[in-house]
Amino acid sequence: MSKSAVPAPGAPPFLIGTDIGGTFTDTVVVAADGATFAGKALTTHGALMEGVLASIGRAAEAMGLSRGEVLKQAALLSHGTTVGLNALLTDSGAKVGLLTTMGFESTLPIARSNKLHGLSDDEITNALKWRKPKLLVPRRRIVGIRERIDARGQIVTPLDEAQARDAIRRLVADRAEALAVALLWSPVNPMHEQRLAELACEEAPGIPVTLSSVIAPKIGEYERTATAVLNAYVAPLAADYLSRLEAAIRAEGFAGQFLVMAMGGGVGRAEAMARTPVHLLQSGPVGGITAARELGQRLGHPDVIATDVGGTSFDVGLVVNGELPRANRPRIDRHALAVPVIDIASIGTGGGSIASVDAVLGTLKVGPESAGSMPGPACYGRGGMRPTLTDAAVVLGYVERLGSAIALDREAARRVVGALADQLGLSVEAAAQGIVDVACAQMADLIRRTTVQRGHDPRRFALYGYGGAAPQYVGRYAADLGVRETVIPHLGPEFSAWGAVCSDLTVLRERDLPPQLFKLPLDAFVETLGELEQSARAEFDDSDGRPTMARRVGLRFLRQIHRIDVPIPPGPLTDAVIAEAEAEFRRRYETIVGRGASGSAGLVEIVSVAAEARVAARNQAQATQPAMQSAQPLRQRRAWFEGEARDVPVYAIETLGAGQIVPGPAFVESEQTTVVVHPGMQIELAAGGDLIMMPMPAGEVVPLRAGGRA
Amino acid sequence: MSVSAIDLEIIRHRLETINVDAGETLVRVSGSQIASEAGDYNTALMTAEGAVVACSKSVVVQSTSLDLIVSDILARYRDNPGINEGDQFLTNDPYIGALHQPDVTIVAPIFVDGRLIAWSGCTVHEADVGGPVGGGFNQAARSIFDEPLPIAPIRLVEGGRVRADIERDILARSRTPELNALDLLGQVAANQAAAARVAELAEHYGADTVVQAMAQLVDSTEAAFRRRLAALPDGCWRDIAYLQHERREGDDYTLNAIYAVRLTMTKRGERLILDFSESDAQAPGAINSAYPALANFTMAALLVHLCYGMPWVPGAIWRAIELRSKPGTIIHAEWPAGVAMSTGTSAQAIRNVVTACIARMLDASEEGARFAMASSQSTGAGGMSISGFDADERPFHTLFLDELTGGSGASGGSDGADVAGTATSPGALPSNVETNEAAFPVLYLARRELVDGAGPGRQRGGAGTIWSYRSHRTAHPIALSSMTQGLQHPATLGILGGEPGSASGIAVADGEVTDWAAVEAAAGNAPLPLPGKGMKVRLGQTMIASSQGGGGLGDPIERDPALVLADVENGLVSEEGARRDYAVVVANDAVDPGATEALRRARRRERLGGREPAARDRLRAGRRLSTHLDAENGQVVCAGCGHAVCAEGAPILASLPCIEAPAGERFTLTARYPGSERFRIRHFHCPGCGTQIDVQVAIAGEPVLETTALLVPEGAAHG
Repeated sequence: MSKSAVPAPGAPPFLIGTDIGGTFTDTVVVAADGATFAGKALTTHGALMEGVLASIGRAAEAMGLSRGEVLKQAALLSHGTTVGLNALLTDSGAKVGLLTTMGFESTLPIARSNKLHGLSDDEITNALKWRKPKLLVPRRRIVGIRERIDARGQIVTPLDEAQARDAIRRLVADRAEALAVALLWSPVNPMHEQRLAELACEEAPGIPVTLSSVIAPKIGEYERTATAVLNAYVAPLAADYLSRLEAAIRAEGFAGQFLVMAMGGGVGRAEAMARTPVHLLQSGPVGGITAARELGQRLGHPDVIATDVGGTSFDVGLVVNGELPRANRPRIDRHALAVPVIDIASIGTGGGSIASVDAVLGTLKVGPESAGSMPGPACYGRGGMRPTLTDAAVVLGYVERLGSAIALDREAARRVVGALADQLGLSVEAAAQGIVDVACAQMADLIRRTTVQRGHDPRRFALYGYGGAAPQYVGRYAADLGVRETVIPHLGPEFSAWGAVCSDLTVLRERDLPPQLFKLPLDAFVETLGELEQSARAEFDDSDGRPTMARRVGLRFLRQIHRIDVPIPPGPLTDAVIAEAEAEFRRRYETIVGRGASGSAGLVEIVSVAAEARVAARNQAQATQPAMQSAQPLRQRRAWFEGEARDVPVYAIETLGAGQIVPGPAFVESEQTTVVVHPGMQIELAAGGDLIMMPMPAGEVVPLRAGGRA
Repeated sequence: MSVSAIDLEIIRHRLETINVDAGETLVRVSGSQIASEAGDYNTALMTAEGAVVACSKSVVVQSTSLDLIVSDILARYRDNPGINEGDQFLTNDPYIGALHQPDVTIVAPIFVDGRLIAWSGCTVHEADVGGPVGGGFNQAARSIFDEPLPIAPIRLVEGGRVRADIERDILARSRTPELNALDLLGQVAANQAAAARVAELAEHYGADTVVQAMAQLVDSTEAAFRRRLAALPDGCWRDIAYLQHERREGDDYTLNAIYAVRLTMTKRGERLILDFSESDAQAPGAINSAYPALANFTMAALLVHLCYGMPWVPGAIWRAIELRSKPGTIIHAEWPAGVAMSTGTSAQAIRNVVTACIARMLDASEEGARFAMASSQSTGAGGMSISGFDADERPFHTLFLDELTGGSGASGGSDGADVAGTATSPGALPSNVETNEAAFPVLYLARRELVDGAGPGRQRGGAGTIWSYRSHRTAHPIALSSMTQGLQHPATLGILGGEPGSASGIAVADGEVTDWAAVEAAAGNAPLPLPGKGMKVRLGQTMIASSQGGGGLGDPIERDPALVLADVENGLVSEEGARRDYAVVVANDAVDPGATEALRRARRRERLGGREPAARDRLRAGRRLSTHLDAENGQVVCAGCGHAVCAEGAPILASLPCIEAPAGERFTLTARYPGSERFRIRHFHCPGCGTQIDVQVAIAGEPVLETTALLVPEGAAHG
């Protein structure tokens, strides 16, 4: 890897990405020549900024520079933070007061009667676990305001300002620190919400106010209210965090753009995001999938299944034709959201998942219980007494150490897996193999759910595996799915941090309107679209560069609930534009439903419009690996594949050259992880340092990729 | 051949995934409001014989006995029209396997290499399936011939292709053909997806292995269920639920008649018998259940209340239980009885009695007591289909599911969830107000949690809601067809001394109203009409309704006063309610401990006719009968104070002091409905300490129902 870290005078400066994860905070610095430097520090829960600064410091160390030197020469710092999510998970958000339409004070606690969504499979079959999501505003701080607007946006009952002022004073007296305002039909007519914001400003100067018509102008009062409340709940903490972090890096000389990653994809300027922190509740997984898209562009993979195997969870997202599909009904920590969120599915299967014998069926179960990172798997030697997926991998000889430093305790792993093996009447290795098989099958099932069920054939996709544990398992679930090409990214362990650097500066404005048949005239929609475009463009100034504008309409069949977003070109909305958009809608519908389905399904209506302004992420130069063919295994390691023990060659990734092909079974070790190349598979180092795994051609080892040929 | 512990887990997980995905495919493709937003659908995978091995958790009752439909098809159609690869069969026949006519089921055989190895199936509630009344609920029906005429299983899809003629015929019956077309598309796609995925699984593991794995799933779950039963005390439990039916039309009109659903549940060893045969004769109207609804609701209640911590495999549970009923009764009606309103009426009564008997059975065991759960709201608490003309003069018909906002039952371990819907349709959700207002000419005035609606108890039930709307932008009246039960008496009973949740309420009132006090005041002394045919909201009027609170568990005056205070602060319990229902005195936002203590003691004295209550300081001994009672030395004694109630084996409740109150005791609206004067709420107390041991709803003058008779275990020492 190149060490020319200091940019030459006039050369493009550093790009910094940093992402806060559950255990580690990662930083990636991209240098002028495309060389990347990683820094990893423990996440400092309760004082997240410290971990962020420490990880930047580590990356600087790797470059042979000080943190200040790196920050001074950085053009941007792009950040994925969990500050909002932490506030939510630790109940440490603001005391919110909620103003809503009188008569509908219970909208939030009713939560559309949802007692199941977000529960695990085990919880769903236990009626005692059927509970509502946590109520973020106690009922006594929810006040109904006398006012009413109808579905067409017409005022049925004018706003009672005297009563509203009273309500605001009451909430403040009850120590409300932030206000959320969510009135019926505010996306169609926000006048009453806007007036309430003015009244709040007069009655309680300085109190932060979230309007549902601003944060989430979507029809459907429960989801919109929940979103406004979530935003108000996390806003003070998030704003405080972002301003302190910004002050800290500016103090060290950082003069670039400070950007924050959004759940809906893209980054936004920190000062703007501080007002709408609901968008940054959980940006880590989005960073990962953004990185997958970027790498996909470099490797020629427009369609990617991006998988992240962590200690406690397995996440799957898709890149489809270079786009990141959005979730239909996003939720976070069981709370419904009405803002765009990149669709990422998750299950509680990871390295720490505990294996056990199911009391009812006698089957070998893996998860959802997890040993977490404390005590962690038995092989960590921190007192874990129950067998985990990682213990099984250790028993099979797939991994020997955790990161570069910690040696794993194989005997402890054998002991706990052995106890389970006795229960099942299997050998220790067979039980370990079973644990890996069951876990990989669960992962494959989740991938099937996110692909097959949505009309995609996983075999058409490239599969990317990142996160600490992916390199051990990705080959297995890829084979199970019939995927041809599997990529283990060079930056896999810091993928989310790198994804932050690869994110476009994006402003998205969306609004729902009462449904109307999709034919001219569509005056209300055209007018709204104009407003949204103007508002999105206004977020950019000259220093950002000129944004590219895109517009979309949300279409659905008459009286359906689900809508599909379809792009439309700039310029006036003509019959031809409408016809093309409708045709595109039907095409997308048929992807989900099957060919011919849309013909019988009637009239199309328009329900929403969206405008997006985007400035592409800065180009990064791409460092390349020197081509070498000569790497020899460091050593042999005893490991189990397909029920038998063999001596398997272990390669060091540093010794591989671009284009070299290693046939399985083999291990490729890096400082941070071990890649398992299963029998029948082969792995090749690509020019950018990423590992590409493929089925081995029958008969002999022949390089399949152009450029890989000797 | 036996499938290994590892392969079985992998195949089980895949089958669950396939089934859940089929449901999601259905929702995505259909996109109809009832399926997508309200979640009124379900999917299932079955063995080749039809035993359900995987069912999704939305409206569980829709698929727990799809085996009835599959067995009917297997028995009749093998040769003509044949059962072939790529076929799908549609039915909405409540006498064959559907719950009621609006629930349209499509099942599909799954073939691998020409061999039938499994079935998939799914059900969606459709907005309208034809018949004389929009939505299908005809209050005036005398028989099924006045309702949507059901379709017996018909081969809608042949070799993967939808039969256009049959589809056309099905859609032609409906007032909402576009919506139904989408639902059909969704169901066909869901079955196709499930079939393709199961075939892939069989390709990988071999068809034999998949078939064997399904068999093992059923066998292992059955064995586990039997073990659970064996660990519970043997006994016999009874419960009654009441229904009302009125039809004012025709010479054979029925005025406000009462029907009782009676269950005797007997558990001996690892066998469970649910005997409904003493239930009343079928009604001359739409509130009957045919056998499939009985089977589905019984099974769904068993899964929810007795199958915690095990896979929900109805095919396994059926093998360990016996369901007895008598044809010609209200829960096992004979053709051509009307059944379109079953799901909101008699079927809820079925669920309620099963829930109560299971709760008592679980409470007889110390380990099970935590899982004992009181009744959750019934659907039909205002459940209604509405029709009329929208602002553009177009006719509309739809189902408003505002009613899915009642409370959950309290359990031994926790309070019931507030506004959580009915236990056997856990995934069904009410729509947003904005969704309804966008599509239909209504303006909601309120939808809020109902104060004092939760059934009081040591653990309280969940709160229900009250909502109201008026017509908006239309001069036409809106016609309502309501299935409402539980108007004349509470229908969501408490358990183990817990009080019932609030009863249902429905009225059309002049002007704009958002609470019952206004409705009662406006009515003066006049009774409120029972909903029937011709119920309409006209211009200037409001439709107002409330869903039931969940039943409480245990004596309310034993509830922690701090929890009562929290409910008062949250507006779920009023200060008067705290005093009346929990004997907790709240003053200045705090509990007055002295006054509360004194009030609680006074309450016990009242229950004992003025006697001082005995101290509750006994250490439990003897054999546990319930939370409240032990059997010791041949006597049934109070677990708290040790007071002897009766000899073991003698009727227990009849031996207890009982205070009888009118049906509108806590929820005064109830007394406004004609017929409520026939019902009483009976409170049974320990004669020693005054602890409330049971609360029942009964018809005045009828004998006390002995709800529990534990069988004396063989060899148990007496004396």
